[in-house]
Amino acid sequence: MNFELAEEHRMLKDLVRKFVDTQLVPLESEVLARDTAGKGSYLTKDEQAKVDAVSKDLGLWGLDAPEEVGGMNLPMVAMVGVGEELGRTATPYTLPPDSPNLRMMMAAADEKQREHYLAPYVRGETISAIGISEPGAGADPQLMKTTAVQDGDDWIINGRKIWITKADEADFTILMAVTDKNANGRNGMSAFLVDRDTPGFNVLRKIPMIDGTATYEIALDDCRVPGWKLLGTRGQGFLPMQVRLGTRRIEMASWSIGMAQRALDMMVEYAPQRVTFGKPLSSRQTVQNWIADAATRIHAMRLMTYDCAWKIDEGRDTRQEISMIKSYCTEAAYDIVDHAMQMFGGMGMTREMPLYLLSNKLRTMRIYDGPSEIHNWVVARDLLGTRE
Amino acid sequence: MKIIVPVKRVIDYNVKPRVKPDGSGVDLANVKMSMNPFDEIAVEEALRLREKGVATEVIAVSIGPDKAQETLRTALAMGADRAILVVAEDVEPLAVAKILAKVMDEEQPGLVILGKQAIDDDSNQTGQMLAALTGRPQGTFANTVNVSGDEVHVAREVDGGLQTVALKMPAIITTDLRLNEPRYASLPNIMKAKSKPLAQKTPADYGVDVSPRLKTLKVVEPPVRSAGIKVADVDALVAKLKEIGVAA
Repeated sequence: MNFELAEEHRMLKDLVRKFVDTQLVPLESEVLARDTAGKGSYLTKDEQAKVDAVSKDLGLWGLDAPEEVGGMNLPMVAMVGVGEELGRTATPYTLPPDSPNLRMMMAAADEKQREHYLAPYVRGETISAIGISEPGAGADPQLMKTTAVQDGDDWIINGRKIWITKADEADFTILMAVTDKNANGRNGMSAFLVDRDTPGFNVLRKIPMIDGTATYEIALDDCRVPGWKLLGTRGQGFLPMQVRLGTRRIEMASWSIGMAQRALDMMVEYAPQRVTFGKPLSSRQTVQNWIADAATRIHAMRLMTYDCAWKIDEGRDTRQEISMIKSYCTEAAYDIVDHAMQMFGGMGMTREMPLYLLSNKLRTMRIYDGPSEIHNWVVARDLLGTRE
Repeated sequence: MKIIVPVKRVIDYNVKPRVKPDGSGVDLANVKMSMNPFDEIAVEEALRLREKGVATEVIAVSIGPDKAQETLRTALAMGADRAILVVAEDVEPLAVAKILAKVMDEEQPGLVILGKQAIDDDSNQTGQMLAALTGRPQGTFANTVNVSGDEVHVAREVDGGLQTVALKMPAIITTDLRLNEPRYASLPNIMKAKSKPLAQKTPADYGVDVSPRLKTLKVVEPPVRSAGIKVADVDALVAKLKEIGVAA
């Protein structure tokens, strides 16, 4: 058994670390100030362009995209290291193109869709969004009400979607809709590639989130989509969607490791410096316990996340592992960041330290892409045979 | 023209070193190791000379443990053409210089560019010893390097300014901090580095005795600075300075 990363994957991780330290960490104070001013935690267009130019120059785009569309075709184990490093900063940044929709398109796109949607996406020329949740239908896809009805060669989509990140700026949104009402739940669902300027694709409102990001609610009113934009097989949209969700969940676990590591690094640096009642915090057993607990849990998070990534690369079924790491890593990182805030005392309460933003991000990560309770339920029902 | 760039695997500059409890050295167990930053500058300078067409091949050489392969792989990913690893543990500057002299015999480079010192032991000896052993001219603490014909002009960082020396090649150069800003190895170059040649050698292959000539008596942490005091105003400051004998 060998737990070492391949040499080139370790070097990639080091490269991303340097990129994060030199490009993203210096932007943190700006990001925190903007977020505090109620302007959101996003990078400005200028900052985004500058950082994108550097990451592109370093060859960090399209890391897990297939080679035939210009990607590096890196395995999931390499991507965990990348996610870990990106997680160490409160500055929001993903290397283009964002992996989850990429993996979904890779799993389902046909020749024409690859050319028109996947290839420009891999080149970083387009931005995508995904519409799954609806008001009233989140973790339970059986409740999905948005429908797509065939009309000649086209599809007419009607319904509502919510919690959609980037819906306003995305060039296209991958939209889940029920195409076969009589099939049960997951078998009647299809995915569509819907361009932003499609008539009937209406962004209703922007919803500010506690981590300084925003999501959107959209309405589909007789939104007409050409037949060739049905992604994958009619009625079989659930599986590619699961591929997408799995990719995001392992990414979230990787970010959590980085976020927890940042908090641990901050605690280790601060504990010996801060003196109370004549002794440094590092001599206090509670503080020692926080640090030991953080280090141990980070070690566990790493092992289980790399194990899951390796199994994905081996083509194994990882539904259990994905649920385990999604719930465990986001929850553990939240606790670790919370301990760091506690240790920093008054400074831990401020908006001048990145800890509050890491904490708010993790607070959302415990909910989106399936709340911890749902993932725990998935793990338990497979063990108990209580699947309904 | 070939350029040889020796690179050393050292404790990462971001890591706070801790002395072993028995005082025998610095604890390196589970510590992040990287290429010596001055050597990164040396690699960068060699690559720039190759990109200008002055050099044709850049050869990275490391004398160190098996793991120094990682350091050489980094040099290859930055752009070096091939690498040589001479496997030896705990070698001292003189032994390193002797091995490098033999590598020079074999490769006949026009330049050897070294970091001025390694950030682990701060010896600042290898480049100078190599120049002495081979009888080649040396330009240490380089701030700028310009090759013209069979000469290399090196502006050296000296007390109070820069001193430019002209050296007949083959010559030895050691890099200072301001010579350049080393590039990062981009991902495509990291991938290419996998297939670049990395030769493994031993000191015996070069007939060099690397047994230590120095004995480390004790390694201790630097003394902890005691906390300062705050004074109310300038008068109090002057009085305090007089009291401790700094001002008359």
